[in-house]
Amino acid sequence: MSTPHVVPSDSPDKEKTSRAVDYFESVYELFKSSQRVTGPVERNYSIGGHLIRLSFAGEALLPISSALEHLATDDLSTPDLTICLWDSESTGQRMFQRPWEDDDFLARGVIQGYNTERIYTVFQYGSAAVSVLDKERNLAIFWVPDPNIPYWEKGAPLRVLLHWWLLSKGLQLVHAAAVGNSSGGVLIGGKGGSGKSTTALSCLESDLSYIGDDYTLLGMDSGPAVYSLYNSAKLNSDHVQRFPELLPKIANPDRLTEEKALLFVNEHYPSKVATQLPVRAILVPRVTGLTDTTWKRVSVAMTLAALAPSTIFQLPRAGNEAFKFLAAFARPLPCYSLEVGTDLSTIPRAIEALLAEVDSDSSLQEE
Amino acid sequence: MSSNQRFRVNAPTVTHEIIDGEAVIINLDSGNYYSLVDVGSFIWGLIEKGASATDLQNRVLQNYQGNATDVDRGVQELLGQLQQENLIVPVDRADGFDQLHEASSSNDHEKPAFNPPMLQKYSDMQELLLLDPIHDVDDAGWPKPTPDPPK
Repeated sequence: MSTPHVVPSDSPDKEKTSRAVDYFESVYELFKSSQRVTGPVERNYSIGGHLIRLSFAGEALLPISSALEHLATDDLSTPDLTICLWDSESTGQRMFQRPWEDDDFLARGVIQGYNTERIYTVFQYGSAAVSVLDKERNLAIFWVPDPNIPYWEKGAPLRVLLHWWLLSKGLQLVHAAAVGNSSGGVLIGGKGGSGKSTTALSCLESDLSYIGDDYTLLGMDSGPAVYSLYNSAKLNSDHVQRFPELLPKIANPDRLTEEKALLFVNEHYPSKVATQLPVRAILVPRVTGLTDTTWKRVSVAMTLAALAPSTIFQLPRAGNEAFKFLAAFARPLPCYSLEVGTDLSTIPRAIEALLAEVDSDSSLQEE
Repeated sequence: MSSNQRFRVNAPTVTHEIIDGEAVIINLDSGNYYSLVDVGSFIWGLIEKGASATDLQNRVLQNYQGNATDVDRGVQELLGQLQQENLIVPVDRADGFDQLHEASSSNDHEKPAFNPPMLQKYSDMQELLLLDPIHDVDDAGWPKPTPDPPK
């Protein structure tokens, strides 16, 4: 089936807006009905400096929040965004028949006719989740038929809703890892399997802090900065053997034949997780087969080509705006190919040395 | 192709950026992305400004060392590739291209040598777009969960 990707929003005519708002309201009523039965369960998180409340119908979906626990807060003031979560299996509340046709499922699960400037609607094929955001009300809904969501959703929960809403606050979700120290951080970009997780996880036993290994948030309001989003890490099951110290910490050890190894870094290395760092450089990992890890300067354009497509093509309604953001973010930063060695201990050492070099270069330029 | 033919970048399907003389171009529909360096990036920047095929050839000859035949062939081939990949589309626009927009080097010895532009194409993101979105549906019409995780 042909699935056109460029659907920034449907034409903003009143009929479509009304239909999308009515749809949101109908799903919201179902959520409230579910929550009346199960009772409310609420958790609050500070994500990229914004207070976000997860309001659950019962406890069945609570495990979804493990990846966000490092950002948990006791702040009970009015949230900037509320996400309502419910499932049909545990609440007994069924989702109504979908009001759109098969042909209305567009690329990345965007639903044609239910996406406007105000309302964002997406179906996620992996978990069969429906996510709907009302930007005007700072209110979102996440529904799944079954609370036993796939491991990759547990690792990066509510990714689409957070991407949409945080973008309106000047924060771009990016498919990149990040680590750093008091000098600042490095963003580590590249498609799946390029070495992001290996690089980030190899730093857990070093002096470097961990921001994320797969998806992070970028901001530019006070200079280029990276914000932690998820404390989860995913590794191919054969790859995890290279990290024997992590093996007993894997969250899904009995399912490694069919799933990637999932690790919640915050549960085992809470002091290593940083929530934000200024970004000093962007790295694109390249596995060399050599023992040591080194680095070499590469062009910003090459780095953007490694960073942008793998971000844009994973996110519904991402396109030109995300690309321009990432280009503006990368443009002033030095970019490097991180030539990743087989001796994992050389990775954090190389990153620390690189950060010191960038720091030194910056000081010389300021003089 | 008419020598007066002008083009525009195929927005919003195509998004692009030139950084330090290298162009990164993404076709959001196909999932392909591209890079152009040196004279290729130079030509891309001129297309964006509304240059015709003739404008492109003239401007390349002003800024690069090469003979007119090679430049003509290189420009035409690149324009053909860019159209084939749906990165640019012909337009009927009559407004002219500002020939004096950028100063060019007058001394041939200062000009870089002309090498035919190469459009580098990357297709490794296509798998993210080619998923068949409709699998089995349940009795309420919802597609059932798929077994494969996103890449």
